[in-house]
Amino acid sequence: MLARVANDLFWMGRYIERAEHTARFLNVNYFSSLDAPNILSQSRPFVLNSIYGMVDDRVEDESTLVEEEVLYNVGLNPDKLYSILSCIKIARQNASNARDLISTEFYEAINKFYHFVMNYPKDRFVKNGLYDFTTSVTENTAILRGKIRGTLLHNDIFALIMLGINIERATQITRIIQTKLFDAKKAISSYSKPIRNSYEWTTLLKCAESYDMMRSLYRKSPAQLNTLNFLILNPNCPRSVMNSLNQTYFHICNIDASKVKTVNSAAFLIGKMRADYEFKTINEIQSNVGKFIDDTLKCLMNISSKLEEEYFNY
Amino acid sequence: MITNPIFSSYQNNTALFDEIFDKNHKVRPTYQKILDLYKDHSIQDFAALNEKAKASFFNQGITFQVYSDEKAQEKIFPFDLFPRIIEAKEWETIESGVLQRCRALNKFLWDIYHNRNIIRDGVVPIELINSSGNYLKDMMNFTPPNKIYNHISGTDLIKHSDGKYYVLEDNIRCPSGVSYVVGNRNALKRALFGVFNHYEIHNVTDYSENLLEMLESVKPQNVDSPTCVILTPGVYNSAYYEHQFLAKTSGIELVEGRDLFVENDFVYMKTIYGPKRVDVIYRRIDDDFIDPDVFNKDSVLGVKGLFSAYINGNVTLANAPGTGVADDKAIYTYMPEIIRYYLKEEPILNNVHTYHCSKPDDLKYILENIDKLVIKPVDEAGGYGISIGSKLTKDEIEKVKIVIKENPRKYIAQPIMSLSVHATYIEDSSSFEQRHVDLRTYTLLGQDQEFVLKGGLTRVALKKGNLIVNSSQGGGSKDTWVLKK
Repeated sequence: MLARVANDLFWMGRYIERAEHTARFLNVNYFSSLDAPNILSQSRPFVLNSIYGMVDDRVEDESTLVEEEVLYNVGLNPDKLYSILSCIKIARQNASNARDLISTEFYEAINKFYHFVMNYPKDRFVKNGLYDFTTSVTENTAILRGKIRGTLLHNDIFALIMLGINIERATQITRIIQTKLFDAKKAISSYSKPIRNSYEWTTLLKCAESYDMMRSLYRKSPAQLNTLNFLILNPNCPRSVMNSLNQTYFHICNIDASKVKTVNSAAFLIGKMRADYEFKTINEIQSNVGKFIDDTLKCLMNISSKLEEEYFNY
Repeated sequence: MITNPIFSSYQNNTALFDEIFDKNHKVRPTYQKILDLYKDHSIQDFAALNEKAKASFFNQGITFQVYSDEKAQEKIFPFDLFPRIIEAKEWETIESGVLQRCRALNKFLWDIYHNRNIIRDGVVPIELINSSGNYLKDMMNFTPPNKIYNHISGTDLIKHSDGKYYVLEDNIRCPSGVSYVVGNRNALKRALFGVFNHYEIHNVTDYSENLLEMLESVKPQNVDSPTCVILTPGVYNSAYYEHQFLAKTSGIELVEGRDLFVENDFVYMKTIYGPKRVDVIYRRIDDDFIDPDVFNKDSVLGVKGLFSAYINGNVTLANAPGTGVADDKAIYTYMPEIIRYYLKEEPILNNVHTYHCSKPDDLKYILENIDKLVIKPVDEAGGYGISIGSKLTKDEIEKVKIVIKENPRKYIAQPIMSLSVHATYIEDSSSFEQRHVDLRTYTLLGQDQEFVLKGGLTRVALKKGNLIVNSSQGGGSKDTWVLKK
């Protein structure tokens, strides 16, 4: 496969996944805040800034934020690289560049999705279309993943897309944790009684579509420790960082089974990070979650640039 | 009077050759069955089917980009739901006729780039070769693998008011449109599937497998199993849909210039596993852009050193560089002689009589009769630069005269041919109307392989009375059925 096209496939996977997480984060945060248990979590500026936090665009002075503007920027603004619209636009452009290698069915699905997003009326979105738009985005990305899994040969093309999807998933889940951790810390001080601030952890789990899974495993209310344990280290949760790393490792090995994992190659770095995670306990992380999250994001970025250097250099 | 309900308002202008209704407004036998089947449809049904077909093209991304107001817009090629039907016997003539032309053109190209017997024997004047912008002197005395130059040809035909087919143009550089033949068939099958049970039609899906077989057959010497690729200018090219379609359906890689490099006169593509040798390139890039070392120095679409790799026999290019000298519209006029000269056969298909602006007698006739003629530049494709005399104002005629006199070699003139018309659904009037059509056929020449796609692209001039069918000039297309014997 051409290195240029491999790059397109990888980034297509990343942008599809990114669009989905952004849409879900937008949806869950906005709607769960409407009946949040404390004043701060209900306050519009707090929620809007949290939404900006997800796309790394927090502002200093929350009080200046205008709801329609924030929603538009994160949802449909073509001039913001982080908007859902931009993600889908790039993903579809990537798909077009690799169109001869992906299935007709998959291309038709992403093309239809692209036109849906591009033609979504701005006014409707910011006034009353938020729920409709964001759920349509998450549904459509699920369709895309289904088409990837079901209509593509499970060869190196598939592996590259999955590599992109899983690296992005690990990154996005980590970023969502980072954002909600930030919110939770702020919220704690605003509770009147000693807290069981399960609200923030519930929101976090829902942002990762993992609330039901977590509940069925732990059978108790989400708190910081069990939530983080579940989303970071549980290998059976399909959204966890651990699971994404396992998938990433599996797919890099499929791209070139014979390749010797030389020290500091992409495959080596992925394997190392995965092994590191596998034998970590939540208690080790708990003492300094912030640093752990920063390290995770750094590691993932490092892996991505290694992949670029080794496979996509054209 | 036409009694079929959906054609009740059809204006059958009997001065034109209507392929569906004869001069007495009776349905021609070939179309009788399809019209009977259409009786069950109302014009509203057609409108709905038309909308569905358009949505289907759009969602599948069978589109091209148009740039206006600095914004790119995606458009579909207009498609008409009324198929054009060609009977088996009629098709036999077309098929053998276009094959004959392609064979003759191939021999002509070899001769032009080697001994030039045809010039020495006085059949084709040397000035036409030397003055052709598409003649490539770097190709002199070079023999491409299996002596094939025009691997892929698109021949444009029209049905004249006398009911006979005439060739309008031979396209042997990068003819496009074959993906729409397949796309149109798929769209029609979805929309009007019931109709297919009543006709025995040749399928059109075997083009890509024949393309691959052809490309593999012209591999360079000493290569056992060749790696073939399609070279595209990229995703912004208007024919990108077709390029990826051909790559996908024939199972070969679609590459851009920047994916290839040349080392020691061998061509490689950059894959995730390192360089991989490329043996056959079906290039969809014009000669001028394939290699900045030899041709247009500013080209970023091509590959440095590609031509040298080619001349050294390490890679095959399809079509060969320099074929444009033979699909020149001035050479076209000599096609009957060229066929007789190389094949010792009479031409099967008619040529339109052509006047050369470079011949003094012809030029005189042209200048006096512009209003009855079509003036065409010899080396343009896509319907550009064409003037139709009857549509020009007096001032415009004077301007054309000046242009011709300044550069007579660049222009030819032909009598205005009346292209046949076909019932076409027109959205603005929500009814079927007569529109002019032509037919592009697709031919492949490989080692011991000759293939003509049994179908072809019927192009429709959607503007009323318009004779130019090219998609770049607002033309649409129809599915084309070739009936089995």
